[in-house]
Amino acid sequence: MIAYLTTLIVLVSVAALVGLALNFQWGVAGLVNFGVVGFVALGAYTAALLSPPLGWVGGMIAAATLCAIASTFLALLSIRLGDDYLAIVTIGFGEIVRILLLNEDWLTGGALGIPNIPRPFVSLAPAGNYDVVLLPFALLLVAAVYLVLETLVRSPFGRVLRAVRDDATAASALGKPVLLLRVKAFAIGGAAMGVAGSLHAFYLTYIDPSQFTSIITAYAFMAVIAGGRGSNTGLLIGAGTIMTLIEATRFLKDVMQVIDGAQLSALRLGAIGLGIVLLLILRPQGLLPEPHRRAREFFPTEKGGQ
Amino acid sequence: MTNAKALLNRRHVVAGLGLSLAPFGRSAFAQGSSEIPIGMVLPFSGATGPYGPDMKKAAELVVKIVNDAGGILGGRKLRLYVEDSESNPTAGLTGARKLLDVNKVELVGGFWGSPIALAAKPIILAANKVQMVSASANGITDGDTKGLVYRFQAKSTQWGPAGARILNSLKLKKVALLAQQNPFVISMIEPFKAEMAKLGGVVTETVLYNPDQASYRSEVEKAFGSEPDGVFCLSLLTDFVAITKEVYRGGFKSKILGLGTGADADGAYLRSVPPEVAEGIHHVQPAPPLESAAYKKFVKLMGAPEGTAFLFAGNTHDQVCVTALAMEHAKSQEGAAWAKSIREVCNPPGEEVDDIVKALEMVRAGKKINFVGAGASVDFDERGDQLNRSFLHQVIEKGKNRIIEVVT
Repeated sequence: MIAYLTTLIVLVSVAALVGLALNFQWGVAGLVNFGVVGFVALGAYTAALLSPPLGWVGGMIAAATLCAIASTFLALLSIRLGDDYLAIVTIGFGEIVRILLLNEDWLTGGALGIPNIPRPFVSLAPAGNYDVVLLPFALLLVAAVYLVLETLVRSPFGRVLRAVRDDATAASALGKPVLLLRVKAFAIGGAAMGVAGSLHAFYLTYIDPSQFTSIITAYAFMAVIAGGRGSNTGLLIGAGTIMTLIEATRFLKDVMQVIDGAQLSALRLGAIGLGIVLLLILRPQGLLPEPHRRAREFFPTEKGGQ
Repeated sequence: MTNAKALLNRRHVVAGLGLSLAPFGRSAFAQGSSEIPIGMVLPFSGATGPYGPDMKKAAELVVKIVNDAGGILGGRKLRLYVEDSESNPTAGLTGARKLLDVNKVELVGGFWGSPIALAAKPIILAANKVQMVSASANGITDGDTKGLVYRFQAKSTQWGPAGARILNSLKLKKVALLAQQNPFVISMIEPFKAEMAKLGGVVTETVLYNPDQASYRSEVEKAFGSEPDGVFCLSLLTDFVAITKEVYRGGFKSKILGLGTGADADGAYLRSVPPEVAEGIHHVQPAPPLESAAYKKFVKLMGAPEGTAFLFAGNTHDQVCVTALAMEHAKSQEGAAWAKSIREVCNPPGEEVDDIVKALEMVRAGKKINFVGAGASVDFDERGDQLNRSFLHQVIEKGKNRIIEVVT
């Protein structure tokens, strides 16, 4: 049971990292990214290819850097493109990555994928029980990314991003460099997706293009919507709830013998969709909505300090 | 108010779910001593979803037969747990993980689809349990398998030459190749070309395409445009349906040889296209030895009309049979121990037997047996690859499959 829970927590961690990144791009900065899966795949493949020569730290940094660079270029397109069009461009990016991975087999192994990806801290793990190392590693990554993003959200940078999200014209009129801000936000989110991808690669040790389907993007959006757009803490709750529901429904058929596998799998996915619809109807702001920050939280009072 | 109430309800649901899981973890432990848990990861949803139900049914039937006859290892019963792979490697991996850690299974079998089998392989090997697959990619039995991986299916490299021999017997010399990019298909291309060259044929064009495309028009134009004698379509179901409709619309005359995974898929293809689109399409697939007594018995067991070709259900039937026999032979449920017994009970020499109850009795009596399964003769080489898979060549006429020959 422990190892299974570990698997769950690692997968939740990957989903949470992806969700945090999307929450920063979309929730805080208002930039729709439907190409999430492309960045995750790019991160996973970079980590898988560069970890053998550079070590896992190098692989992970390279994954984050490459994803940040790709995000920068993609975000630059938003000079001319409004919200909806950026969404289309990002879908295109996701597809381009998938097709490149599938067809450039000299580099990516094509459809056969990449096996035997080296993992971090293997020497520290007791034989046959790598999970005891991977679990804290995954949680630490989530904590680190959460702290960085939460700090950014609370900083003046986060404040101006929200201003751009809510009214770009007004922010621009006040002299804020809207484009630069958007590019930065997109790049930071992209880097976090690269980290998520490398964790995925380290956990599975085998990656192939069929693992990176658009369902990853869908789960990320579900997590952000369920958690509350703009709220990092809400995102963690959202990602945790969704992944737990998806997995917990596996146990239904062991308990209820009446339902057979085929019916259950249809029911499971249907129930998750229904859950999201109900959530949107009953609680459109998400489980833990973005806090309404007031001016006095940011500025000292007359008495000084708090 | 309504919002607060709804939130409370959701909390109750989540808490309830958590509680309902708690006793389950214990019960799995409690069963450990008397029952022998075995598991399978099968597709019930997603692109390969149609294959799951029959494979599950076949495995359940064997488990019931073995248990009704008194179980194995001194009266212990088998208990089968099945997980949905959703046709997705990550979901297949968590399914395998759940089987290993929660249900404590000794076997993780099933595995329709190479990406799923490949993703789950590392964790099954790390747990020192046995993996049995019904998937073709060479990578599954490559590398260090600790002798724990067994393939109940033809290897990709065996499919290619079988296709070439069929094209040759149809007298199609100038051939184009239209192939989906996936690990199963990609590994058959080179062996196919080598066999074609040996038989004096020419491969004029190799067109690769990506899965899940919205349209296959340009690929079809490219492969059929040069008017080859035949086109070998290495496709799965959804893309083969789209491609053949495109070919029909375009009025191309080249003969089509497809894979059974696309052009048959347990009858799903014929249900998906009108008869005139399917007319005259040849297809090839590793098949159970349809004429063998063991297979005929299996069809009866499944309650299907005589002559039904179950492509994959026989494989899960055999997986459970072989597991039971090998455990009984090794007198152990330890993966490393009974995996060594697999070739002992499956390969010749020995008395051929296809009845699982009789075979178990013979093993208990210390006789050397050569088990013959429903899906194949179940003989393995030292890497765990199945030997002697036969291929079935059929043609679609008036909306029905007609068997032409069995190729080996």
